[in-house]
Amino acid sequence: MSRIGVFLCHCGTNIAATVDMTRLAEATKELPGVVYVEENKYMCSEPGQQAVKQSIIDRGIDRIVIASCSPRMHELTFRKMLTDTSVNPYMLEIANIREQCSWVHKDKEAGTKKAIDLVRMAVAKVDRNAPLFTSEIPITKRALVIGGGIAGIQAALDIADAGFPVTLVEKEPSIGGKMVMLDKTFPTMDCSACICAPKMNDVGAHPNIEIMSLSEVEEVTGYVGNFTVTIRQKAKYIDYDLCTGCGLCEQKCPSKVTSEYERGLAKRKAVYKPFAQAVPSKPIIDAKNCRKFTEDRCGVCEKLCTVNAIRFDDEDKLVTLEYGAVIIATGYELIDWTSLYGEYGAGAYPDVIDGLTFERIINASGPTEGHIVRPSDGKEPKTVVMIKCVGSRDPHKGKAYCSRACCMYGAKHAHQFLDKIADGECYVFYMDVRAMGKGYDEFYMNTLQDGATYIRGRVAKIYPEGDKYICIGEDTISSKIVTVSADLVVLDTAMEPQESADAIGRLFGVSRDLDGWLTEAHPKLRPVETNTAGVYLAGTAQGPKDIPDCVAQASAAAAKVIGMFCLKALESNPMISVVDEINCRGCGDCVDVCPYKAIAMETVERRENSVWVTRDIAVINSGLCQGCGACTASCKSSALDLLGFTNEQILQEVDALCL
Amino acid sequence: MSNTLASVQETLRQRARTLLEDGTITYLIGWEAGRFEGQTTPLILRKAADVDRLIYNEFCVHILAKYPLSDKNIEGTIGVVVRGCDSRGINLALKDGQIKRDKLYLIGIPCEGMKDARTGQELKKCLQCTHRNPVVYDELIGDAVEDGAKVDRFAEVAQLESLSVDERYDYWAAIFSRCIRCKACRDTCPSCTCRECFTDQAAMGWQGKETSLAENQNYGITRMFHIGERCIECGECERVCPVRLPLMQLNRKIIKDAYELFGEFYAGIDDCTPHPLDHYLLDDVEEFM
Repeated sequence: MSRIGVFLCHCGTNIAATVDMTRLAEATKELPGVVYVEENKYMCSEPGQQAVKQSIIDRGIDRIVIASCSPRMHELTFRKMLTDTSVNPYMLEIANIREQCSWVHKDKEAGTKKAIDLVRMAVAKVDRNAPLFTSEIPITKRALVIGGGIAGIQAALDIADAGFPVTLVEKEPSIGGKMVMLDKTFPTMDCSACICAPKMNDVGAHPNIEIMSLSEVEEVTGYVGNFTVTIRQKAKYIDYDLCTGCGLCEQKCPSKVTSEYERGLAKRKAVYKPFAQAVPSKPIIDAKNCRKFTEDRCGVCEKLCTVNAIRFDDEDKLVTLEYGAVIIATGYELIDWTSLYGEYGAGAYPDVIDGLTFERIINASGPTEGHIVRPSDGKEPKTVVMIKCVGSRDPHKGKAYCSRACCMYGAKHAHQFLDKIADGECYVFYMDVRAMGKGYDEFYMNTLQDGATYIRGRVAKIYPEGDKYICIGEDTISSKIVTVSADLVVLDTAMEPQESADAIGRLFGVSRDLDGWLTEAHPKLRPVETNTAGVYLAGTAQGPKDIPDCVAQASAAAAKVIGMFCLKALESNPMISVVDEINCRGCGDCVDVCPYKAIAMETVERRENSVWVTRDIAVINSGLCQGCGACTASCKSSALDLLGFTNEQILQEVDALCL
Repeated sequence: MSNTLASVQETLRQRARTLLEDGTITYLIGWEAGRFEGQTTPLILRKAADVDRLIYNEFCVHILAKYPLSDKNIEGTIGVVVRGCDSRGINLALKDGQIKRDKLYLIGIPCEGMKDARTGQELKKCLQCTHRNPVVYDELIGDAVEDGAKVDRFAEVAQLESLSVDERYDYWAAIFSRCIRCKACRDTCPSCTCRECFTDQAAMGWQGKETSLAENQNYGITRMFHIGERCIECGECERVCPVRLPLMQLNRKIIKDAYELFGEFYAGIDDCTPHPLDHYLLDDVEEFM
């Protein structure tokens, strides 16, 4: 006969205001197996926990029920508490009488009845609890960082500096991401390349970091501490072991292609380095545009290369490596405004550009060497209109969320324009100015003093007239229609998740929110973890952010990884599925429903009814199993059971509630 | 080749003789005549000399798919005569890993429906049959016949769905008050292949021992959900029921729901397609989330 102790928490008045605790205590005393009931104002507090420990000693309690808040809140707290006692930490059940009772009900009578039901169920369940024991999982102390933007760079550097090897996977030919395309960064106006490029070089030179450029993650198996990841290294057609990065091939290549890095404002070659500071500082061949591949002639690069590094027969390589932890930093893409905003010309007007293109125009190393000119005719614009929230905060056409960085880079663009073109006029159409950050509002105020005209309202239409663009919008403060005849229009477009985030999320079992951003385990308290143990998030993969926030989150994710790598081993979760092989009929339904690929079928020989038979049974990989219970629900033979939530325990709960 | 029952029976006997004599099969599972006129019973034919016991007529009502499963570790090969329903049952067993395909030799016979010996009418389960031709076989006797149900097989379910909750409860309470929990429906069902049925897991107590409506209903409902959309619609549960409970109405309700939620699906038409409830897709309907 079990000796159950039940501890009822008032949670101040959180529970006690809606649940009659005295009645609950009286009802609990009547339950079978309950030998002790105690109330406490705050069970989770130090005195509360002490009282539990003391009563375990005094009353010979061998299992406990805590009626308090959600187990997500304090189950771990009480489990830790039990490690110092004679009671196994898994001989514990939490009756959630706060989130599932007092917080959602107003009627005290009904709330009390429900609390009694919840406690009765927990008591019935704990009666069938069995002691569970953790085991140690070894950790492969190598980290995988996916995405080589500023977040990925920072995370990789932090982990590598702590002494652990890191693989940085980047799908583009160079790391650097979006930040390296920017001109200056708000609010301090440091040159983006000047602060980003040294970090890129540090990554390239770091003995603990391996960069896999032009690579993508293809397959993932394993679990926290022991992921096996297959990475596809796409063909670069250049042997990086031999290439010195001299640039002769690029110089002599006759094929010219629109440059992605320069946002279409300049050309690049078919064998190219995307930009001067690229890391790795070696070119790749763009096979789609190389004459050797398209027409089977040319081959100039091969003839000129002094170290014979050109490999036209290069193929994609698959590399499989073991990792202990993964940081996903896949970043963002700008929303395709041309398909959404017909009123802004849908991309037909060459001088209506997005903010990132403007960054290239004002960049001293950009296609115009920093001279602000119109893409259409190369003339200096005198009147510029900037439109914020294009795609952001616009649930009907774009996204409902705020992209967070645009208010500030919009102000920066206005400032830079007015700074370079003294007689210029700048009109900024805005919905609100969100300048919350260190030095941000001061920066915005300075831009106003520079002479930027802020108009609160959206631009409803842009149409060309001569070589001007007429922007019509409403100034919602004066309720007047404003018409500006602009030379250049800059749209501050919304951020949206990279297309690849979907596949990455699926590979690692990380869910995405309705907008497609990867979701963290808890929006406030676990902002860099995901629901898959050992997989972390950094940067805009999780949601729109500016550079300081990306870097901070990247370092936070790195700290989590370093923290894990400093452990000798991980503690396994003992609440996993087990197979009763006597009852397993070998149908394999559990294999198909397992989201963690933790179940495999194994052919075994067994002696049954005096004869040897060969049959298939399900086998659980205890490292992969996360204890979700999908398999136990799918098993018609009830051969699968989830420890801590066994069929017997659940049946007891149901009986306690219904009979 | 003509499809008359007599000619099929004749060919079947010839083939059985050859297969048994050349050792292709260890024994053949078919039918033989019963004690009364129009009655048949499953036959396990081991000797070529006995082939004349083998019959095939319009009263071969038993489904044979489950018989080979009790001999799944056989050294040789089991011959089984399969029509549409039998073959779907075999596929289900193959998919569930209950037997290996190389242990089976399947003689397929396209079937135009069997008759109830008592009434001489075609059986309800045969009128509702969607797959009259075997879907898996090693050799076929006779020409293929036209597939497709002769009556609307969801008509009864649709009629029940039109009732109110209370009316439906009363309807099923009346039916299950007659259940004697003999478990013949389970024993005959080709999809019931658990090593120990939930009703027999006494220590767990899924199924109480009491003779009561509640326990009868618990049995009926749990059986229905365990079979779920894996039902091959052979109708054997209903045919073997000694108290004639309309059990297929329950099975068809699940099948109908599965159609509506996950698209048209026929269990056992091959041995690899995952069943709707065996796996998940990210774009599955989530009507309650």
